[in-house]
Amino acid sequence: MSNAVLRVEGIHTLIGQHHILQGLSFQAKNEAVTVLIGRNGAGKSTALKTVMGLYAPSKGRILFQDQETSRLKPYHVARLGIGYVPEDMGIFSELTVEENMRVAMLREDEATDERLTTIFEIFADLKRFWKSKAGNLSGGQKQMLAIARSMVNETSLLLIDEPTKGLAPILVDALIEVISEIKKRTVIVLVEQNFYMASSVGDYYYILDNGTAVHDGLMTDLIDNDELKSRYLGISRDA
Amino acid sequence: MFQAAMKKHKQKVTLIGAVLLLLLPLVAIQPKVYLTLTIAGFAMGMLIFLVASGLSIIFGLLDVLNFAHGACFAWGAYVGFTTLNSLMDWVTSTSLVQNIAAFLIAVLAAFVAVAVLGILIERVIVRRVYGLHLFQILILFGTTIVLEELIRIVWGPNDEVMPVPFNFVGNWDIMDIIVLRYPIIAILIGVLVYGVTQFVLKKTRIGLIVRAGVENRDMVQAMGHNISLLFTSVFAVGAGLAALGGLAMALFSLQVYPGMGSQYLIFAFIVVIIGGLGSVTGSLVGALLVGLSYNYVAYLLPPAAVGVNILIMFVILLIKPTGLFAPGK
Amino acid sequence: MAELSPIRIFRGLESRKRFRSGGFFLKAGLLVLFLFAPFLFPSFKSIDLVMRIVIFATLVASFDILLGYTGIISFGHGMFFGIGAYSMGFLLSKYGSPTYLNMFLAFFIAVFVSILLALVISFLSLRVKAIFFAMITLALAEFSLILAMKLSRLSGGEDGISISLPGLFKVSSNFGHVLHLDITGRIAAYYFILLCCLILFLMMLRFTQSPFGRVLQSIRDNVQRAEALGYSTFIFQTVSITFGCIVAAIVGGLYAVWVGYINPESCLSTSIVLDILIMVIIGGMGTLYGGIIGAAFLQIAQTFLPDLQKLSQHLFPQASLLHTAMERWLLIFGILFILVVFFFPRGVLGSIQDYMMRRKAGKTLESG
Repeated sequence: MSNAVLRVEGIHTLIGQHHILQGLSFQAKNEAVTVLIGRNGAGKSTALKTVMGLYAPSKGRILFQDQETSRLKPYHVARLGIGYVPEDMGIFSELTVEENMRVAMLREDEATDERLTTIFEIFADLKRFWKSKAGNLSGGQKQMLAIARSMVNETSLLLIDEPTKGLAPILVDALIEVISEIKKRTVIVLVEQNFYMASSVGDYYYILDNGTAVHDGLMTDLIDNDELKSRYLGISRDA
Repeated sequence: MFQAAMKKHKQKVTLIGAVLLLLLPLVAIQPKVYLTLTIAGFAMGMLIFLVASGLSIIFGLLDVLNFAHGACFAWGAYVGFTTLNSLMDWVTSTSLVQNIAAFLIAVLAAFVAVAVLGILIERVIVRRVYGLHLFQILILFGTTIVLEELIRIVWGPNDEVMPVPFNFVGNWDIMDIIVLRYPIIAILIGVLVYGVTQFVLKKTRIGLIVRAGVENRDMVQAMGHNISLLFTSVFAVGAGLAALGGLAMALFSLQVYPGMGSQYLIFAFIVVIIGGLGSVTGSLVGALLVGLSYNYVAYLLPPAAVGVNILIMFVILLIKPTGLFAPGK
Repeated sequence: MAELSPIRIFRGLESRKRFRSGGFFLKAGLLVLFLFAPFLFPSFKSIDLVMRIVIFATLVASFDILLGYTGIISFGHGMFFGIGAYSMGFLLSKYGSPTYLNMFLAFFIAVFVSILLALVISFLSLRVKAIFFAMITLALAEFSLILAMKLSRLSGGEDGISISLPGLFKVSSNFGHVLHLDITGRIAAYYFILLCCLILFLMMLRFTQSPFGRVLQSIRDNVQRAEALGYSTFIFQTVSITFGCIVAAIVGGLYAVWVGYINPESCLSTSIVLDILIMVIIGGMGTLYGGIIGAAFLQIAQTFLPDLQKLSQHLFPQASLLHTAMERWLLIFGILFILVVFFFPRGVLGSIQDYMMRRKAGKTLESG
């Protein structure tokens, strides 16, 4: 067994006529948070969607726990133990919080109940809003719900897409706490444009540009590397 | 201030308004006739509801406008026709039990046969055109033609008389009011179907997934549910409901003819537009509205009967283009 | 001297290309064919066939303006055709007399009513989603059919109206011989209708190839972007729909002149829209010329189908299933329709265009 629960090798993804991913390769090492960072349009969200099976790669392959998943349908991928939190959160507004959680559950058994208890410990608000319509939650609460949903099954890998988008700074801190808690239990691949978030929880990074990974390494190294940051992320020291 | 107050009581106001509207015809019609017409209107409404509900569900979840729905309707009627013809003894017998048995067998046959048809249509045809509304409409239109022609080939192009179970015909005389039997039965069927669909949608796991899928299909897939299986099933159920409507309508109008699908499809469309695509409750309300108004107007001013529904449709469209109810309700 | 802007250079290149391309000669050839058809195919049946092709090609092109260029499905196109036909019927027979003035008046009234109705429809279409719109137009079309049949005192009901034509077009007129052909009123009618259809077709071409038409296509492809660019999509779509419907009405009037008899079944029913759909799909959406191909295909098939049936009975006397199937030609068309939508969604012309474009792209890739 390799030390990377997810290995993506040279995938190309086309959306219509647009060649979004042009030979992207990255790994999600066990017991770590891997962050995909980069500017808008670099292909980060598309990468996650391709792993999830929502897009089929035209070339290359994806290996989850050493098993090839490149051509699998999304529901199959999910059942293998990959959870997904999309960019728009995918909350079912007309359903209650409880119903949102229940849709996510693959099995309603004791193991799921135990996981639910842990989830309630991490996400304090969830129990309070259990019977409320999910559409009535605030942005931050919806984001928490989206993440909580992805943990209700036995997942070995969590794909989270830009969770801090549109959140107030204080909520970002809360999110960092939550993710730091979760990373103890499952491997996470995080897509982020917010460098503060990325650097706070990430262990490894891959910089995406034009559909490929142009740089990767330990997050601790990236934090000090101003040249890379300004070149690909548009971050300068003075910002 | 007024606006805020209005919003809070919106539900109550709408309800009162609806009841008032319902009682309006009493101005022009005598109470006894009114009652007969109301029952007839409810019955017609329920029948249309059966057809419209399937259409609404299929659109709500699959985002497919089932232009072949009318054909499913007609096929249901014809399958029921053949079934009842082969159970003639039970149909003509005076025993209520045998009547009901024959009826239920016909219902089962029609539902299952057309559900299977629906599975075929979904797998072979609709699956390739998901998301492409233009092609859906065209292809399902073509499918309707093919299915209608098949009816003509299998059963012949003429009108046929529909056998109706003995005890379903005729009327009851309650305090001088003539209450036709079959409309009551139709109403009961409609209420039952509505009850079952609401139960399934709100209280079962499948219903939960369907309701979630109506909002966000991709997310449901990414959560581990085999959405294509779900789609096929929903399409089959929707088609089955249309078949049920066809059977019920055939018993009501005492005849079957190849073109009956297209005729009632129009009504179903109007109802679904009024009620809101994707909402079963909307279909019910819309159908009742259409049925009642048709009957009242047909009594007061016969030529305007068909037009009144189109008028209502336009009015609703002007006020609330998406229909009365939101999807998934 | 002012420099030519890039757009002008582009247009100049386009118009020069137009005259030199193979397509141009094809179109010219087709025109010549239509012009000399009465001489080439003098039998009554043949002229009727050619005329129907001309009429329906124009009708289909007008439908294509809505479908292919504006991106809107309307099942109500038969209504406008019917309005034109009934207009002609009313003014030339039922409520009027066969005079030239009445003929023009009929067209005028048809256009006027169509504009009103088209505006109503446009107003609706932009408030609701495409699917609603399709359903509404279907409901409207059925409604107008029922109306025509029920109000039989006004409309002639199911029996319809017979039309007598004014002066020049009277069936009995005869202007002598030209090249072995009797120039009857019918022939005069043929050229009149051909001329009208040609004018209409050219107008439609001009419309779609104008800057207005281009904006329209951009709206069809991406509504939000067009609006972001500042175009009032509502006005564009309304004008386009109205235009298409007006043409349909005029064609309806011309049809009435040619056939001499109108009734709800042939002029208002949904089978007309069905035929139009088949023709536009086979010919190719978004290409006005596709209408000619589609119309030719359907009209020829419908005309020679009885002969085909006899032939198949002759060749395969035992295959009774084949006979039944042949009788139910609608079934065959239904299946054909589905197959075409699946495999050739761009129709004959569209597929050819795609093929040509791929060849051209291939060439530029090699040379570039």
